[in-house]
Amino acid sequence: MSRAMSKITLGIMVAGLLWFSYSSVSAVYPFNWSSLTKYYKLFLEGILTTFQLSVIALALAVIVGILVALARDSKVNLLRDAGTLYVWFFRNMPLLVVILLVYYGFGSAVNVDRFWAGVISLSLFEGAYVGEIFRAGIDAVPSGEKEAGEAMGLYRSQIMFSIVFPQAFRISIPPLIGQLVTLIKDSSLVSVIALGDLTMRARQVGTQTLAVFEAYIVLAGCYLVMTSLVSLVGRVLERRLAIP
Amino acid sequence: MKEKNVILSLLNLTKSFDSQEVLKEVSFDVREGDVIAVLGSSGAGKTTLLRCINNLITPDGGDVFFKGERVQRTKHSIRAFRSKVGFVFQRFNLISHLRIIDNVALPLVKVGRVKWTDARKVAADHLKRVGLADKLMSYPSQLSGGQQQRVGIARALVMDPDIVLLDEPTSALDPSLVGEVMRVIRRLSSEGRTMIIVTHEIEFAKHIANRVVFLNDGEVFADCSPNEFFESVSGEIAEFLTDLSAIV
Ligand SMILES: Nc1ncnc2c1ncn2[C@@H]1O[C@H](COP(=O)(O)OP(=O)(O)OP(=O)(O)O)[C@@H](O)[C@H]1O
Ligand SMILES: [Mg+2]
Repeated sequence: MSRAMSKITLGIMVAGLLWFSYSSVSAVYPFNWSSLTKYYKLFLEGILTTFQLSVIALALAVIVGILVALARDSKVNLLRDAGTLYVWFFRNMPLLVVILLVYYGFGSAVNVDRFWAGVISLSLFEGAYVGEIFRAGIDAVPSGEKEAGEAMGLYRSQIMFSIVFPQAFRISIPPLIGQLVTLIKDSSLVSVIALGDLTMRARQVGTQTLAVFEAYIVLAGCYLVMTSLVSLVGRVLERRLAIP
Repeated sequence: MKEKNVILSLLNLTKSFDSQEVLKEVSFDVREGDVIAVLGSSGAGKTTLLRCINNLITPDGGDVFFKGERVQRTKHSIRAFRSKVGFVFQRFNLISHLRIIDNVALPLVKVGRVKWTDARKVAADHLKRVGLADKLMSYPSQLSGGQQQRVGIARALVMDPDIVLLDEPTSALDPSLVGEVMRVIRRLSSEGRTMIIVTHEIEFAKHIANRVVFLNDGEVFADCSPNEFFESVSGEIAEFLTDLSAIV
């Protein structure tokens, strides 16, 4: 069977399965899509908030990640251990708990805006993973090329900026895009601090219209579209920057 | 004939890895225009010696003198020294995300503080001389091994070094590609470039080098002209030459 044929077959099978589930559920649950329509603005707001949250958090997570990666590759023992400790902490802590700690913990001491509490939690958390991605990228640069830099008389910082980082960055793009997708999905957890992200908005619409199932189906669709778009853009970027 | 100036002196270089003494008080002088073939069996310490010279490996003891001055082990003097010493690697070690022309221009820009546009002109000139005028815009992965090594040589020459160190420049190449690289190296020697070349190419050592340094077990066992070396009756040298011809 050709590739296209098998894709079409799979599509038909999935569509059939969905239609079957939908009609079985309709027998006991009267779907009411029309009640959702006047709330579309809430969904759009939610998408915008989730998007802003994810993009700002990613930008900060990249900065955190660079610091973590540099610390873990540092010659200074204290920095190296600090980097390791950081990664250990955030990789062993549920994101939900981080969000609660930042918003309710620090929030009880200083006044933290919900949005920024979400951004800070996500960037601290994802920064640990981004740091690991960068470190793997830095380690993947052939040591012979660094040596060539040394032999021509470059300083360590010049070797880093002219030889290591440009390659490490390219190597890191695919996993970094994967991490952005994860970040978008993880960001749904900020709805516990009543931040009006996509998930929170869908819950609101659900309770207000009583069309809960419908609202969550739309929610699921929105996440799928957002994450797939990010992956698509990532693949284009990867191809653009590829070294022949 | 007047003796040429000594460019580089090695004095009692020693290096151990763990408990293994890889270099044992290696000393010799390199004069202007010398082409020194460093020979020795595998594990004799040839690569270690070359890397100790420009501090890619820090020697445990001994000194390197460059034009009569001791090379201090500080960041700045090592950098200044390296910019005057070209290094050609066995596995080329080109920078894979840079175009060929930028690979060669890089030392000029970063160490020589030349502007990119000017550096590229000089780089293009050097690449022409190794027969790669049509590959300026290619990336390293798009070249054959022989072409990559010629880029490596152009890169080593771009700072107009006083001496070039080459570590088995042809041993990672297909036999059919050895010739093109050897021709470039032969031309350098005829232009009077001072070189230390670690090689297994006996023909090169016989006909192009003016001196052979034979390393045996981390020691300079012989330091003489190629004629003396290849006619030597010493057991170690004879054994080395027999082993070598057995491989080839
Ligand atoms: N980084 C290192 N750590 C430990 N031992 C090393 C290291 N580099 C080299 N050695 C050891 O030092 C000895 C000399 O190595 P070297 O690479 O200088 O030999 P060589 O003469 O260049 O050999 P070849 O002809 O195989 O390239 C070998 O026994 C090798 O195992
Ligand atoms: Mg070697």
